[in-house]
Amino acid sequence: MISRVLVPMDGSEMSEHALEYALEAYPTAEITVLRVVGEPSPMWGEASGLALADNLEEAAQNLAEPTFARARELVADADGDADLETAVELGHPVRSIINRADDYDTVVIGSHGGTVADRLYVGNVAKQVVHRSPTPVVVVR
Amino acid sequence: MVETILLVGVVASIFVGFNIGGSSTGIAWGPAVGAGLLRKTTAAALMTFFVFLGGWTVGRNVMDTLSEGIITIDISLGAGVAVLFFIGLGILVANVFGVPVPTSMTTVGAIAGLGLATGTLNFETIGWIVSWWIVTPIIGFWIGATIGRYIYPELNRRFEIKASEGALLTFDRSGSIPKPTLGPNTTNQELVGTIVVFIIGCYMAFSAGASNVPNAVAPLVSSGALEANPAIIVATVAIGLGGFTIARRTMESVGGELSDIPLLAALIVMITASTITTLLSWAGIPISLVMSSVMTIVGLGWGRATRPVTAQEAIRGESDKELAPGALTAEPDAPVTPIGEEEPEEVLDAGDLFNPRAVMKYISMWVIGPSMSTLLAYGFFVAVPFVG
Repeated sequence: MISRVLVPMDGSEMSEHALEYALEAYPTAEITVLRVVGEPSPMWGEASGLALADNLEEAAQNLAEPTFARARELVADADGDADLETAVELGHPVRSIINRADDYDTVVIGSHGGTVADRLYVGNVAKQVVHRSPTPVVVVR
Repeated sequence: MVETILLVGVVASIFVGFNIGGSSTGIAWGPAVGAGLLRKTTAAALMTFFVFLGGWTVGRNVMDTLSEGIITIDISLGAGVAVLFFIGLGILVANVFGVPVPTSMTTVGAIAGLGLATGTLNFETIGWIVSWWIVTPIIGFWIGATIGRYIYPELNRRFEIKASEGALLTFDRSGSIPKPTLGPNTTNQELVGTIVVFIIGCYMAFSAGASNVPNAVAPLVSSGALEANPAIIVATVAIGLGGFTIARRTMESVGGELSDIPLLAALIVMITASTITTLLSWAGIPISLVMSSVMTIVGLGWGRATRPVTAQEAIRGESDKELAPGALTAEPDAPVTPIGEEEPEEVLDAGDLFNPRAVMKYISMWVIGPSMSTLLAYGFFVAVPFVG
């Protein structure tokens, strides 16, 4: 019985598909949407901005909020009464996801998000998560 | 025939300059435009002027290095055109994939490839340049880290410049002449801060001109096909063209990223990067503005993220998350009962933002870019020797 599901989202359409799939496949499960902020980027702006913020928690939460808002919309669209938990992590998405995955029964992740530049700096997150996750991973296309 | 080749060369120069204008305008003016201090068109006009100034003065030293220093012979017109194509190719890749490929490094790489193929590479000069390429990011990082760790918090307390909601300035149109007044939520301090960003933007445009103008034209100047003065003007016009057109996009992408960091931090980054770039250009070393900018940004963030909590701060209770109860336990998994303040569900560690491996991976792209351009140019000039 899958009761705790982790859905990492990066704001991309593919990650929205992952959430939709999770809602459909595990209607009774408790779903946690994880948003990783401050990823490596061409100018490292977001990461440095967070590091320099007066209140790190608040700044990170603000950056993640649009993704959470979108996730709540998707839950509402799916007519789910699923409890949506949210979580914010910093830095490299793969590490953040792997660190959390242990607390969940499964990870549902979009096959790819972002731009070519993101891929260069971060790599294909889904692929790396599949390789290193301690829990089963569902990759949504 | 020569005229045709020169024409092709000038077109290639303009392509290179155009793209340089796009990317460097974004860096120099992104924060000021983002803060609403000036319009993109004004930024492009200022950019063109200060790029010209930088190229005309300090840029000549870099021009000498590129056109005469790296290889012992003059770059023939045909070879110069080919080199320009490799520089353009590098820029094209950078734009298509959204990766900052340092143009100065691509240029030196392509010319060095020509030198290797013809056996005329001046190893002393190239060693000198490359050693500065290694030292410069370290200097930028070190300056950033020192400021971020020891000085930034104090600066931030004294000069709080934050971009407030709403436009910086609004125009009071009740009179016959629109009178600028402070926008909603704008403080005097914010206004002063933004004007400083504006001045620093001019400085950065100057350093961009000093380091980048030669990239667009030096391969043509070397053979004497184009005199230095008209060449600088051609490059300026091309960079300006890029500033007025494609920079509208880069001011949002690159500039947008710079806007992710506080205005004060952006200022520090811009001053540091421009100074490094201007000084090295003055010494005749081709250096990329992007490289020193990024390393200063990373340094600032890293320095701030990893700063230790001083005992004094701890006593005064001024520390933030470092003293969250979870951080002090020896066993991270042990349940901790928070004392006093309610502990947040999870404690974010700013140190996670600068994973050394991710930073190294990023820096490795600076090695790959110029190496690729050297190899490509080398292969080309070996295969087509008559051009050299």
